[in-house]
Amino acid sequence: MVRDRALPYLLIAPTVMVLLALSIYPLIYSIKVGFQTGSGETAQWSLANFSRLLSDGFFLSALAHTLVYAIVALTFEFLLGLGLAVLLDRSLRGRAIFRAVLLIPMMIPPVVVGVVWRLMLNSDFGAINGTLKSLGVNTESLTWTASPKLAFASVVAVDIWQWTPFMFLVLLAGLQAIPQEPYEAAMIDGASVWQTFRHVTLPLLRPAMLVALLLRTMDLLRVFDQIFILTEGGPGFATETVSLYIYRAAFRFFDFGYAAAMSFVLLLLTNIISIGYIKLLQSQEAA
Amino acid sequence: MKSHGQSTTQRRTLARWSKYVVLIAAVIAAVLPVYWMLTISLKTEVDQFASPPRWFSFTPTLAHYQDAFSTRSFGRYLMTSAIVAALSTVCAMALGTLAAYGLSRFRLRGQLDRRLSVWILSTRMFPPIVTAVPLFLMMRDLRLINTIASLVIVYTALNLPFVVWMMRGFFKELPRELEEAAMVDGDSRLGALVRVILPLVTPGLAATAVFCLIVSWNEFLLALILTQTDAAMTLPVGIAGRVTQYEIKWGVMSAAGIVAMLPILVFAMAVQRYLVRGLSLGAVKG
Repeated sequence: MVRDRALPYLLIAPTVMVLLALSIYPLIYSIKVGFQTGSGETAQWSLANFSRLLSDGFFLSALAHTLVYAIVALTFEFLLGLGLAVLLDRSLRGRAIFRAVLLIPMMIPPVVVGVVWRLMLNSDFGAINGTLKSLGVNTESLTWTASPKLAFASVVAVDIWQWTPFMFLVLLAGLQAIPQEPYEAAMIDGASVWQTFRHVTLPLLRPAMLVALLLRTMDLLRVFDQIFILTEGGPGFATETVSLYIYRAAFRFFDFGYAAAMSFVLLLLTNIISIGYIKLLQSQEAA
Repeated sequence: MKSHGQSTTQRRTLARWSKYVVLIAAVIAAVLPVYWMLTISLKTEVDQFASPPRWFSFTPTLAHYQDAFSTRSFGRYLMTSAIVAALSTVCAMALGTLAAYGLSRFRLRGQLDRRLSVWILSTRMFPPIVTAVPLFLMMRDLRLINTIASLVIVYTALNLPFVVWMMRGFFKELPRELEEAAMVDGDSRLGALVRVILPLVTPGLAATAVFCLIVSWNEFLLALILTQTDAAMTLPVGIAGRVTQYEIKWGVMSAAGIVAMLPILVFAMAVQRYLVRGLSLGAVKG
């Protein structure tokens, strides 16, 4: 009996220890280094890294890029994903095949997505400009990854290409979990298609929507891989996000304290937004 | 009356057709870029740079695959990726499944079981760049930089919360009476787990393992930081290293990209049923 009481703790302990060592300790270490200047014996507590952040134009613009990137990509991914999910919700010939094929972009390793789109967007031999050229379009100004504004639009578009399937998949699952009765009731009441969508589908889909938005938001705020391959944050600084800038500070300039301070800001931002979503989800469950 | 019925039918047909048009456009948008990479991997350089682009009319060659995987080191990266993914998945599954069982089958004091579950999940929520520097320093102090071991360790921790959360969900779907019956028949708790419960959650175990394999296989940032030598690099890091060079061998890159992508596509199709559940960490059951 005593052994049985200890058993759950024995089962859980290894996992907890691994996470303490490889998640929690690094996290605390990172926060500590962020609030210090100097290293080793001479380290002192200070807010210098944080005050530097506030006057660092590069950091502020990386932060702005990250937020704009996240908001634009999230909006498009959500709307396109919802549209596709609604289209595929009803019985349709070839539905399973459509669903499987539409998921492909999401399955590709992000690094490979970077390669795919470098091949598409290359201004000399890329498929997009090549096709436009053969249609008689002047492609001289369409340097997709070489001019700052286009480059930013390109990396956002690539994110939308890769992750709309995720929204689609989760929202489709949410739609299919909605029971038939509310729809039947709406039909008896003579509701139009739009009214049914607005007053039956949307409210019942809300939990799935919030989960999909929460998970996407967290991933968008940390975006790194595809941008690293596509533009390396360039041209200049045009597509630099917070994760890329932290990487550069830490592993190009070995400025660990400053990188840690920026990480702290990113962590805080992610947490605040996630908690907002989770509160919304909980209020949903309580209601 | 008759004409009204006809126009409704017509409108329905039109609606159905426009639905198909939209869906087919979406399918083309999803697949075309990948198909383009496939063609580049199979084209000679003349065909690669041809204008207008050659979508179908080119003479396929496997030269780039040979170049990438036997002349260059991509074969080695592929092996490293496979070993790292397999080992880290085994470790995460072993530890995580036990913890999940402990967290789903026992009431701990002060709701510790629920609190621990939430805490475990929350460790998955940090952006990886936040812990990248400390992990790099830890691995450096342990002299594990540029080793497969460092990646196995880090990916085990990366996948653990996911395994715990998924398996906890699968265990909770089984009635407690199953083990109780086995234990009345003389099985110990762990005996009941192995003989009765695990066989019943095999599909869940397999799906969870496949997700771990995918995450480890695709991971880039931590691999980039922890491995820089040919001997320890994973496939994504190898590809990235080549992409950022001055003269890019597009055929080789594409061949490597296709090979990096294929196992994931196969795996993902294998776990289609659990895809939603896995991707939403069990929050949405597809």
